[in-house]
Amino acid sequence: MKGLRKYLTPFAPDQSGAVSVLYELGGILVICDAGGCVGNVCGFDEPRWFSRKSAIFSAGLRDMDAILGRDDRLVAKLTSAVEKLDVSFAAIIGTPVPAVIGTDYKALGRMTEKKTGLPVLTIDTNGMDLYDRGQEKAWLALFKKFAVDEMPVEKGRVGIIGATPQDLSDLSAGDRLRQIFAADGKKAVCYGMGDGLDAVKQAASAEYNLVVSPSALETAKYLQKQFGTPYVVGYPLVKTMLPEADYTGKKVLIVHQQVMANALREELKMRGASEVKVCSWFDMKPELREEDDVYLKEEDDFTELAADSKWDVVIADDCMKSMLPKFDGQFIGIRHFAVSGKLGGAC
Amino acid sequence: MMQDAFFCTVGELAAMGRENIPPQFISGAHLIYSSPATLAFNSPGAEGFGVKRAGLAIPDSIMLIVAPGCCGRNTSLISSMREYDQRFFYLMMDETDIVTGRHLKKIPKAVKEICDSLEKKPSVVMICITCVDALLGTDMERVCRKAEEAAGLPVRPCYMYALTREGRKPPMVHVRQSLYSLLEPRKKRGNVVNLLGFFSPIVDDCELYDLLHQAGVKTIHEISACRDYEEYQTMSEANFNLVLHPEARFAAEDFHDRLKIPFIELTRLYQIDKIGSQYRAFGKVLGVTFDDQAAAESAQKAVDAFKAQYPETAFAVGECMNGDAFELSLALVRYGFKVPEIYGTITAENFIYIKQLAALSPETRVYSNMEPTMLYYDGENSGVNMAIGKDAAYYHQNCPNVMWNQDRQPYGYAGVRRLFEALTEAENRWEEQP
Repeated sequence: MKGLRKYLTPFAPDQSGAVSVLYELGGILVICDAGGCVGNVCGFDEPRWFSRKSAIFSAGLRDMDAILGRDDRLVAKLTSAVEKLDVSFAAIIGTPVPAVIGTDYKALGRMTEKKTGLPVLTIDTNGMDLYDRGQEKAWLALFKKFAVDEMPVEKGRVGIIGATPQDLSDLSAGDRLRQIFAADGKKAVCYGMGDGLDAVKQAASAEYNLVVSPSALETAKYLQKQFGTPYVVGYPLVKTMLPEADYTGKKVLIVHQQVMANALREELKMRGASEVKVCSWFDMKPELREEDDVYLKEEDDFTELAADSKWDVVIADDCMKSMLPKFDGQFIGIRHFAVSGKLGGAC
Repeated sequence: MMQDAFFCTVGELAAMGRENIPPQFISGAHLIYSSPATLAFNSPGAEGFGVKRAGLAIPDSIMLIVAPGCCGRNTSLISSMREYDQRFFYLMMDETDIVTGRHLKKIPKAVKEICDSLEKKPSVVMICITCVDALLGTDMERVCRKAEEAAGLPVRPCYMYALTREGRKPPMVHVRQSLYSLLEPRKKRGNVVNLLGFFSPIVDDCELYDLLHQAGVKTIHEISACRDYEEYQTMSEANFNLVLHPEARFAAEDFHDRLKIPFIELTRLYQIDKIGSQYRAFGKVLGVTFDDQAAAESAQKAVDAFKAQYPETAFAVGECMNGDAFELSLALVRYGFKVPEIYGTITAENFIYIKQLAALSPETRVYSNMEPTMLYYDGENSGVNMAIGKDAAYYHQNCPNVMWNQDRQPYGYAGVRRLFEALTEAENRWEEQP
């Protein structure tokens, strides 16, 4: 049945995706909700929250705020908070409540900018879309707002866009990516994972950008158009993620975010796999997609696809293993935080 | 730029009075800071019992969460607990559902499909809906009746309306009403009592059980201890209900109106003498005199033992624990300890403790976990050397702590005794650390 979930809990929503992009950048993040959404975002979808403080707030909406559309109250609360906190920008992130009452985010952003004097990002997430959609909006809004100055290109500087714990499921991924480039004599900046707002402002100085998740693709295109910065798509850490095994002649089904899954496909083909199909619960960009790749929407889409006896190997988050009780091939668990809410690399 | 967390002393708060509580302590007056200390407020379901977990207190029940995906996201935390395996299901809403309300038509079919797919038929299906349906004005009672017809078993709504959390009937009040709404009138039995308020039993060595037995009670029901649906139904045979948590008051009134079962309310306290007074008043209502001396002495003994070993303990007391932060602080001060800091939400009910605390420890600082400047809280020079509560433990990670937020509910003298035993154990463990 459409929309019915019997095995999997819902995936990370768009508002969590937006927060994961902005979490480390030193702004005040206001989730426009009654409290429950911020609890979900922080307590479940943002693994950095338990170890690293961030100015993240709930708007604390109540029924009459929603019924009467009292945006002015939110602006007043945000202004009061900004007066007490040391923050460099504000972001207002949407949830189902403002989606239902039709909040005008542009107006809200303008009102807040005027009152606080801070740059304000408004991300019109609605809690019904998935994390990648929220990330895409947040990456674009972030770079459009702050990466405005032309700069001379710094040779060897690589901008990594799209790195979040939700996509990479590994809190050390930023450091590990930087190390890989450093070993090659390059300086990588990993936006949102270890490199902050100043790095975003200097985006024009990158020699090229590396896109590590599909949600950053539009931003990479924007930066190419704006500053002429070329981009490549891939995930260099993929080599360490596959367990040692003989993949020669194997038929493999991969479920992950598209960039990670494509990188795994490439690696598996290099290791001798005869057929590798990529599928994803999330947005699949046409330019990154092979003809037979599959977008999954319902649980049945996956169980039916995996039921085909031709697959020797299924690579997916561990939480999907219970959906395949009759699968007798090899199941390789590679965490996808946005799916299971669990961190890990290769399992 | 202010870089200190806002606080008021207990003395200042008492002087201002409950009519002039500073806006920093009123959650609706400011943005709500999100830290691990506020998780229980922002997302009660993430810890302890929120609507989702509470809604499954009826034995063999299952829950269908009908909501945007974001509302069900953290449920996997609960689903991973063995007792909730295969008990949560989701019907995810999209924008078209919101505009057309078509998701409501899908619910009966979804309930039937889920029930048909399960090996064992559930006793009841709880339909959990969220803020979106609150705004749409969904008549979920009607939808549940349709689902009952389709599935052939009871279907009840429970409302996870965060938007109404400070209203007259917040979600945790409503869910308690929903849970007992399935009880049918039965012949009363004079020796049966229900304990209402918690979603897990009170500690098994609590003297309340003995006291009730002294009063002639033979059977004590707690919803969380019911083995099956039939035992749950016997709750309507009770002679009276004991309300142990104020959020169960509406449910108790429902019992009274619908099943003609009256109720008596008791408060969870940590002051030994006040517990005794409460029991005496309770006994008077029942026409008995309770013998609670041994339980009271054992609680006092635990307090004395801790005090003898750790006389200089200075507590930080948080609100994320099984108790009222202000009442517990008052108890600690009255036992002779220091309480430099409290993290709490001020209500009309606990202002009485603030007034009493002001007389004994006026310099105790009160912080609001939710106030924006808590981002800058620094407990380094607070003088605190022990923390009680999950929030207090978060702020004071360099001293021993007792979270005191366990599912099994501490109550009465047994609660006091167990708390001080836990404090002693935490201190001992801390000292043994390399």
